Amino acid sequence: MTKRTGVFVCHCGNNIAATVDVVRVAEELGREEGVVYSKDYVYMCSDPGQSTMAKAIKENKLDGVVVSCCSPTLHEKTFRDVTEEGGGLNSFRCEIANIREQCAWVHSDKPKATEKALKITKAAVKRVQHNQSLTPIGVPVTRKVLVIGGGIAGIQASLDLANAGFEVILVEKNPTVGGHMIQLSETFPTLDCSQCILSPKMVEISKHKNIKLLTQAEVKEISGFVGNFKAKIHQKAVYVDPETCKICDDCAKVCPTVVSNEYDVGLTSRRAIFIPFAQAIPATYTLDESACLGLNPVVCGKCAEVCEAGAINYDMRPKVITEDIGAIIVATGFDLYGKENLGEYGMGKYSDVLDGLQFERLCSASGPTGGHVLRPSDHKEPKNVVFIQCAGSRDPETHCAYCSKICCMYTAKHATLYKHHVPDGQAYVFYIDIRSGGKGYEEFVQRSMERDEVMYLRGRVSKVYEKSGKMIVLGVDTISGKNVEIEADMVVLALAMQPSQGTADAAKTLKIGRDKDGFLAEAHPKLRPVESVTGGIFLAGAAQAPKDIPETVCQASAAASKVIQLLSKDELMHSPTVAKVRLSHCTGCEMCVQACPYGAIDLGAPSNKARVNDVLCEGCGTCQAVCLRAAIDVKNVAQVQIHDMINACLGV
Amino acid sequence: MIDVAQLKAHAKGLLEKGTVRTVFGYRKSTAGLLAEPAGITEAAQADDLIFDPSCVQNLALYLVNDKKHQAEKRSDDKRPVAVVAKGCDSRAITVLLQENHFPRESVHVIGVSCEGTGVVDASKLARKLGNKKALAVAFDGADAFAVTTNEGTQSIAAAEVMAERCLECRSAHPTLSDVVFGEAKAERGLHTPFQAVKAKIKESEGDRWAYWSRQFDRCLRCYACRSVCPMCYCDECVVDSINFVIAPDTTAEEKAERIKWIERSPAKSESAMYHMVRAIHLAGRCIDCAECERVCPVNIPLRLLNTRLEMEAFETFQYSPGSDPELPTLTSSFRDTDPNSFIR
Repeated sequence: MTKRTGVFVCHCGNNIAATVDVVRVAEELGREEGVVYSKDYVYMCSDPGQSTMAKAIKENKLDGVVVSCCSPTLHEKTFRDVTEEGGGLNSFRCEIANIREQCAWVHSDKPKATEKALKITKAAVKRVQHNQSLTPIGVPVTRKVLVIGGGIAGIQASLDLANAGFEVILVEKNPTVGGHMIQLSETFPTLDCSQCILSPKMVEISKHKNIKLLTQAEVKEISGFVGNFKAKIHQKAVYVDPETCKICDDCAKVCPTVVSNEYDVGLTSRRAIFIPFAQAIPATYTLDESACLGLNPVVCGKCAEVCEAGAINYDMRPKVITEDIGAIIVATGFDLYGKENLGEYGMGKYSDVLDGLQFERLCSASGPTGGHVLRPSDHKEPKNVVFIQCAGSRDPETHCAYCSKICCMYTAKHATLYKHHVPDGQAYVFYIDIRSGGKGYEEFVQRSMERDEVMYLRGRVSKVYEKSGKMIVLGVDTISGKNVEIEADMVVLALAMQPSQGTADAAKTLKIGRDKDGFLAEAHPKLRPVESVTGGIFLAGAAQAPKDIPETVCQASAAASKVIQLLSKDELMHSPTVAKVRLSHCTGCEMCVQACPYGAIDLGAPSNKARVNDVLCEGCGTCQAVCLRAAIDVKNVAQVQIHDMINACLGV
Repeated sequence: MIDVAQLKAHAKGLLEKGTVRTVFGYRKSTAGLLAEPAGITEAAQADDLIFDPSCVQNLALYLVNDKKHQAEKRSDDKRPVAVVAKGCDSRAITVLLQENHFPRESVHVIGVSCEGTGVVDASKLARKLGNKKALAVAFDGADAFAVTTNEGTQSIAAAEVMAERCLECRSAHPTLSDVVFGEAKAERGLHTPFQAVKAKIKESEGDRWAYWSRQFDRCLRCYACRSVCPMCYCDECVVDSINFVIAPDTTAEEKAERIKWIERSPAKSESAMYHMVRAIHLAGRCIDCAECERVCPVNIPLRLLNTRLEMEAFETFQYSPGSDPELPTLTSSFRDTDPNSFIR
């Protein structure tokens, strides 16, 4: 136990001082046992504040420091650095008492808040008096990155990293990279062709010497820790050798099985052996195991017979690939909100009710209609098209509570494109608000209204139904206050974006958190938007929140730059506040081993008792909580410290 | 109906062959109705073994104690020990195996099924008999006990004098055994599970507080409940400061930092804390043998505390302690289907 503690109480301007009598806190703490120095200051984190602290540590030969201020997530590092560099005292001898977020900001009664601030600070003093000096643990770094998801986010991040000289393993679940972006026809607000801007990047992926692309692959297991992860990747058997495949299409011509084509969102079909689209990367045909008659020459085998190059091999087997990596970028993207949830809009019942992605395919030159907007039911040009925004979004009662962010813009784009294709047609848009923040976005929406005469109706659609062979859209126009009935030839729903199934799976495999809507949780909503809560795992794209292409690309490059920053060091420093086993008390019951979320504990020599891997341990204290025998403690959060802190709070 | 002769023969065989070091079983007590636990090491002693409704004790405790004794003696006899285990006892052994307290091969479990009837509650029986003194009790068919008193033998419906836990028992047949005697009848179904505790928690908070205040005030802190519990095997217990473990590698700092979480004096607040800590430490581990309640000299209804948590484990996490030695323990495991989505 140390005997010369210093206490520094911060006013934080008025943030703390308005609710807590900081002068009294400093005075009373000065009288605490073992406290030899106590002072308040208006901004402890300011340069003069830091100098005061450094000077006081030296002059008073302090052996423990408590800074009573804001949350340790903000300035713990600042004050620990001052303690070590300015005061010459080990940085782990400094503890933060959070009297701002946990006191001043949540209370209004000054006398009571002051009492609480006193308790919080006294508890921190008790804790710091038992703190040990610790040294961060140096860990070598693997300079290789795993990118999960081959959409625009994953592509951008991979290219940035590869161009910076890092090895990248890009894992994609589907047979090709490109994600949802490759399905789009044109992109707002400039209406440049999506394929034209994305396919060069896809080609670059396939050619880049630093990128190893694994398609039809999924990450099944991640172990290890920041700088030193180990990934287990399962890759499906593709049955076609990409090196020998000549993309001649002979195989698909003879294939007898026809299934729905995912790339065209079910508007066309494909064969069991297929290439997703002409520009697919890797450029090869692939055999869909689930659709194939049996991968058996006795059953069918037609494709192998006609393949002149001999690229088809039914004996290929799934592969398990293990890779050592230093960092991970999760770019697993979005899915559209399930149409089965929107029965009121006739989705799934009427073939002319489409989702946004299907409409993209209809507009696309590579799409099922060769770029002509035609109704799926009778291949006629629709003359009245109703676009319904917020289909599933902004509806906390029944669907998703959040705004899917991109639908206002892509609906305006759809309406504009429709008018370009069918100049004598009429487009209607039902909307709640128009959210068009972004460079050139508002102008784009205005143009769709003025130049393309898109009829914007403010209100929601209650249902889409059929009357004597016509689809009727029944809605309300809240500006005129009238019910609106529109005979529609086609209805397009701007379905909500939701985290993809792959996002849910990745969150589970990587043990990273998700928010209430299932999107991946960032470490801090403002200041650490591309980091997950787990060190070394970064987020990019719509897996983190709904976002459009420019924003996705920004985030992907940001994540890549965070990775570059992380991996440009030779050694990573790991916090030394890790768990420590008291062998005399451990019975080897294995509860901590099972409970540890980081797999940092195992049973081992000498007598099958718990053993902590310091580098894997994150110091979360879960083991401490499950141990019935108090046989495991986190350094500087030991039993005796918790006991003394409770006593300090109780005033005994 | 269980054939005790077979049980004896099996125990005798084990000891004759020397495949086990000791057989823990029950024998007739010299001091009253209830059987007494016996650790026999000679084949000849096997004839003393009995199994009848008076065999209430949970013999898993003796496995825990035996491990301690062997360590104290520094014995190098690595042969397994055999133990007679009812359904509840076998669950206790399973929990000990889950916690790696001893390896599976170090114990030979002689399962005994208590079949239609459970074991007797001595005080219920005494109340039922009034002035008469029970001398022996035997199984009598599937739902009765044959009770011998100084006035002869009479048949009493088992449900009337059975231990409370047996009435609520959900698995009377051993879940873990190397050999079983008696018929496999898992469900007894006389009372619904957790009936007693469910009735108790219907009372108002004030009433329950008053009830437990009275109970904890009466606690003598004799620690009989802790001593009889097979799960309370820690060398050092948080509740009293006289059993701090000092090992050769204990540092001076560790000695100085010993914490007294609870005062030793049997004050109400301290005793309440003791019982609460014990109940929490038994969450997901207590298999409801109710030995703590049976041995309490002041009759504190400890079973209510423990079954309250057992009920929570069962209803919230579908977890029954002692059902499977391969399962991770309740408090150390997490499943995606667990309630409270905030953890995800």
